Amino acid sequence: MKSIRYSPLMIAAVASVAGVVLSIVMTPRSNDAVALSILLVAGALSAGLLFAPSLRVAHPVVARAAKVLLVVVVTLFATYFFPTTTNFNLAIAAAMSVTLVGLSFLTGASGQISLGNGAFMGVGAFTMAIWANHHATTPIVAALLIAIAAGALVGLLLGLPATRLRGPYLAGMTLAFAVAFGAILNSFNSWTGGSGGLQLPRATNPPSWLVGLFHQGVAPLTTNTIWLTDITVVASGVAFFFMANLFASRTGRAMRLVRDNEVGAELVGVNLARTRVLAFVISSSYAALGGALWTLINNAVTPSTYSFALSIVILSVMVIGGIGTIPGALIGGVIYAYSADVISWITAQTGLNPQGNLASQLDGIIFGGLLIVTMLFAPRGVAGLYRTFRRRQVIKGPDGVVPVEETYAEA
Amino acid sequence: MPMIAVYVGMIAFGNYFGFWICAALAVVVGFIIGAGTERILVRPLYGKPEINPVVVMVGFLTVLEAIAAAIWSTTPRSLPSPFSPIDYRLGGRPLPLSAFTIFEVVTALAVMAAVSALFRFTNLGLQLRASALNPEVSRLLGVRVNRMLTLGWTLSTGVGTVTAILVSSNFFTGLTPQVMDGIFAFGFIAAAVGGLDSPVGSIVAGVVIGIILQFVGDFLNSNAIILVALAILIVSLMARPSGLFTHARTRRV
Repeated sequence: MKSIRYSPLMIAAVASVAGVVLSIVMTPRSNDAVALSILLVAGALSAGLLFAPSLRVAHPVVARAAKVLLVVVVTLFATYFFPTTTNFNLAIAAAMSVTLVGLSFLTGASGQISLGNGAFMGVGAFTMAIWANHHATTPIVAALLIAIAAGALVGLLLGLPATRLRGPYLAGMTLAFAVAFGAILNSFNSWTGGSGGLQLPRATNPPSWLVGLFHQGVAPLTTNTIWLTDITVVASGVAFFFMANLFASRTGRAMRLVRDNEVGAELVGVNLARTRVLAFVISSSYAALGGALWTLINNAVTPSTYSFALSIVILSVMVIGGIGTIPGALIGGVIYAYSADVISWITAQTGLNPQGNLASQLDGIIFGGLLIVTMLFAPRGVAGLYRTFRRRQVIKGPDGVVPVEETYAEA
Repeated sequence: MPMIAVYVGMIAFGNYFGFWICAALAVVVGFIIGAGTERILVRPLYGKPEINPVVVMVGFLTVLEAIAAAIWSTTPRSLPSPFSPIDYRLGGRPLPLSAFTIFEVVTALAVMAAVSALFRFTNLGLQLRASALNPEVSRLLGVRVNRMLTLGWTLSTGVGTVTAILVSSNFFTGLTPQVMDGIFAFGFIAAAVGGLDSPVGSIVAGVVIGIILQFVGDFLNSNAIILVALAILIVSLMARPSGLFTHARTRRV
């Protein structure tokens, strides 16, 4: 008798039907059920695409799209059930991981280092806020794109001279920018709102055609975390999709070559300067997007957020998560989002005085210490530890493309 | 690192000794910290990509600043100053010059002279330069490269400690855990503009940029200082990537 072979697509279809039935039964309002059902079907389909044997050998771009879609859809689904604080942390993690993946790309793929990505985040954050205050009707997507463009522009201005330096000196230059950023904001007080920062002029609500699907759609912003989280997650998903392709693309390979062997790169016709500057600009654009999303989540922006300390923290969580990998950036984002909670938990557990000197400096000690320990003992971060754990299984990606896990730290 | 050394030397011993002994102790602590850092944190990273030590040092800086703030808090401390910060007067008019200013300038010049003499005229200085320039060949020729690298770190932390003492015994700034952040940023800008491998260049650039920034601070506002500094850095790197004072072949990027 012929054995029945279950195609993953078939399983996905059954699962999504079951999910739709479940969500209709379990959710009190019909609008929610519709929204959840759509998410479920999309998730199941992308999962099916991902695991279907016929598609695993399909174009890698399709595979990456399916992967990102799966993660995004699962997350969107989860936001319906998470409490508000979890959603807020999730949004922070998503926004931060966009910044992290940009820095990760700069360091991991092109071998440069930046201590100024906190300031680039600030560029995006303030562009977003200033633009929203002058042109309140701009759609979110357009405002985000403008913030990205601002980040790219500043990145280009700084990257052109900065990429002539390398290693420690590039770090020094970007550090100078990060230290200067506060003063830069101060110099344009009339635009940036001084030390108080800026508020967005209005709450970020979903467009009317979506309101029907989101049960909090017309609620005031403070309780509108689901919508904000969802925007952030979707924007991050798009950013991650581009980055995944960039890592594997011709440009990504050129960058790794420049990193590992300048002479070789020149011989095969790679323009060294352009490649380095490009990596720098991409990294600053991603940071700007992260900052803009951050403004969106908080509905406000304050200059003290984008201090030099933020740049250090960004570098720390990026290294701890894992340099040069996309999962590493995600892990780093989550670590960042929950670090404040963990640190206050430690403070509570150890009985430190929360107002004391030690408690207020605990984050610096922990982040810095973890940074050193990670770099000395596990230079590929948490993502690298996981990979070492199942090392033998991953050697080469499809069609011989050098996989993303060829990180810099071990090169 | 110098910041910690100053804290240990000047604050921890400050109750027992006078300024000079404390300063000497601080420099010694600086030496020890520099050597220890090289041995423990930097040594394991030789042969790894050059960004790894940078990342470790950033982490170390964060930890040290946090520890210093945890022990001594972030409020600025004033150090006992050996010389009066009050301006001299000439015929009733104040001169822009005090005993303390003279002390600062003299110390800076003396340290610069000592370091350049060490590098230029002694066998040790030659070995240090050789180790930095070409470790393999130096090793073949009998230079103990590792020892030289430790010594290099020791020296630079010691000199940094002197700087930190000078900066933080200034009545107006005082000593804070972040006292060296700004110094590092400006110092880096001066070094990059002057040429990273040219001591003379960095000194000249340091003085010139310092004067320019002082004018900017006086005539515009204090926010403009770092902006102008950054602008100088960007413009000069675009024009002369290897620094204004070097004749070395430009590395093509």
